[in-house]
Amino acid sequence: MTTAEGLSRRHFLRNAGIVGLGALGSSSFLAACATSASNGPVKQAAGAVTVQSNLSSPQAKVAIEALAKAFGDKGGATATVNTVASETFRTQLPSYLTSANPPDSFTWYPGSLLSGYAKKGLLLDVGDVWQTMGNYTPAMRSLSGDGAGHQVFVPTSYYFWGFFYRKSNFAKWGVTPPSTWTEFLALCETLKGKGISPIGLGAGGGTQWTASAWFDYLNIRINGAQFHRDLLAGRGRFDDPKVKKIFDPWRQALPYTDPNGTALAFQDATTVLLQGKTGMVLTGTFFADAAPKDALDDLDFFQFPILDPSVPVAEEGPTDGFFASARSPHVAEVKEWFKYVATAEAQELYIKNSSGTVLPANPSAKNNGTPLVVKGKKMLDEAKELTQFFNRDSSDALQPTADAALIRFIQKPNELDSILSDWQTAAAKVWQGQS
Amino acid sequence: MAVLAAPVKRRRRAVRRVPPTLLLFVLVPVAVEGFWVFWPALQGFYLSLTNWDGVSAPTFVGLDNYAEMLSDDIFGTAALDTVIWIVLFGGLSAAGGLGLAMLLNRERKGVGFYRAALFTPVVFSLVATALIWQAIYQPDGVFNNVLGAIGLDSWKHSWLADPDTALYAVLVPALWRQLGYVMVLYLAGLKGIDPALYEAAKLDGATGWQQFRHVTWPQLRSVNSVVLSVIIIDSLRSFDVVWSMTKGGPYHSSELLSTYMYSTAFQSLRLGYASALAVVIFVLAFGVIVTYLVRAFREDQ
Repeated sequence: MTTAEGLSRRHFLRNAGIVGLGALGSSSFLAACATSASNGPVKQAAGAVTVQSNLSSPQAKVAIEALAKAFGDKGGATATVNTVASETFRTQLPSYLTSANPPDSFTWYPGSLLSGYAKKGLLLDVGDVWQTMGNYTPAMRSLSGDGAGHQVFVPTSYYFWGFFYRKSNFAKWGVTPPSTWTEFLALCETLKGKGISPIGLGAGGGTQWTASAWFDYLNIRINGAQFHRDLLAGRGRFDDPKVKKIFDPWRQALPYTDPNGTALAFQDATTVLLQGKTGMVLTGTFFADAAPKDALDDLDFFQFPILDPSVPVAEEGPTDGFFASARSPHVAEVKEWFKYVATAEAQELYIKNSSGTVLPANPSAKNNGTPLVVKGKKMLDEAKELTQFFNRDSSDALQPTADAALIRFIQKPNELDSILSDWQTAAAKVWQGQS
Repeated sequence: MAVLAAPVKRRRRAVRRVPPTLLLFVLVPVAVEGFWVFWPALQGFYLSLTNWDGVSAPTFVGLDNYAEMLSDDIFGTAALDTVIWIVLFGGLSAAGGLGLAMLLNRERKGVGFYRAALFTPVVFSLVATALIWQAIYQPDGVFNNVLGAIGLDSWKHSWLADPDTALYAVLVPALWRQLGYVMVLYLAGLKGIDPALYEAAKLDGATGWQQFRHVTWPQLRSVNSVVLSVIIIDSLRSFDVVWSMTKGGPYHSSELLSTYMYSTAFQSLRLGYASALAVVIFVLAFGVIVTYLVRAFREDQ
């Protein structure tokens, strides 16, 4: 192991190497990297914990800043939030973590990327924080581990996915939420008969990843959560006949899917849903950030229909929280910050300031109590297993392979065989690159 | 002898006595250039021979990354798209720019306004331009609405979401911005042509086409060199407009070598393979430009 300084210099030069060649080939590439330079490790304020945050949507940004302020007001350590655009944050995370003077803590989520960094010794062991965290569920505890007995993550909130719709529109159209796949298709048929695009989709304009929700849900409904996790962790193949099977029901739903769905970003798909041009959208509660406040009360959701009653019900319950750099110079202060964000009081404060649709990770904390959130929590509590989301259960590096494959399936369902074999080839390269 | 020896001696002394300031002026830029350009470029070349995820230590794999390109379909698509891009972006902006310059060359009332209007897109950032065009191309956007209004409903299309049209849809805003720039270069060239040449051609009874063919075109030769260099460099470095509009999708249909390099590096975190792609782009750009410029200079001489 080299010293922190040496390692960081080496990385700096390598990064510079990429930039250099890119600059010769394409100056825009240089521009892309130049932006990252200004977002590099932030200067340490004396004693203050720096929180590198990718929560850049307006309400989430306000909420995390309120959280940091409340933490400082308690006396003791203070925290400063440095909000970075999500895409920049994601691409710069390896540089942040390997730099000699990294930000202290980061917003992130559990999953394969977290355990990958943990295995490389880049994350702070926060086992002693967990000892103060009381009644967190065993599921949350195991989700926050590195697989080798260390706790490296502090969860603060989680959310749910489902088919969201407008209650007033369903009432107007005289339809009710389905619970089985047959009922779901019948509902689609009814809506189509009324001249409405039954299923909205926001898998265009930079948010192609939302199509992965369909893949995740069909796979956990038909093949089960364990098969799904194994597949996404590189222990299965995308051209497996069991994977191919999940595209049969999807193909049944395609004629009811909004043909513009691959051209619209999820924010635009939300608008189209609220206007009543589409019937429902499979999405996570984060979409509410793009909805006007007055429409929130009119929103409801139903669970992704059961396809095979013999498969234990699993739901997507992506969890968000924090981890810290192993090189943080403020270990004691970071742990104090983590102990604070794990409390019920802090999580309630965050929810109060945000759009309010997330659920607190601390079992003693109250959610915002709206019928929608209560129903979502009940659905997740009753689920036999929880999955995170495609990129969280696999990796951010695998997400573009899914985007290419799934959008192609939605547009050209007859090419499924070649889609799956191309997907497997692309995924194998990613896994190989990461080994 | 003495006469002969003297200048030699003087020359020697002159060589020995390079003023330190002058040395500084040479060595400092060389050092800066070396550190910021050549050293990173060499590092990049070394990285192209490794497998690297950006965090762990890179592992040396020799020429594996280059061998992989040969069987990589997406690389093939990206290379083909880059060629299409160079031909269309380059060809149309040169032809269009020249056409506009000819049209707006003669001093007429209000011609300044049109020149300024056509040049305006150059001022905007290409990313901002791309975002506006993205809205124009939306299923309910201006473009489809106009098609609907003039009775071409069957032409309505999800321009950016369809793999058959995505690349061309992205090309339009890039051209929209480039045309004004090329036009200005050609306008400057046209202004530099001696009007007497046209008068002489007219006296000889030359037609409009003959004037263009035998007067304008040869006179524009030096401007053509500049325009061609600019266009080739601009096409190979095109990245921002594609990345902000389609990110190379849907399913790699609008992928250029530059976007493929970026996504391989920073999305798939395969920095070794991405460096190999960067080397290929560099060789292409360098090859094209050097071959062209050397020839152009030789012709000028």
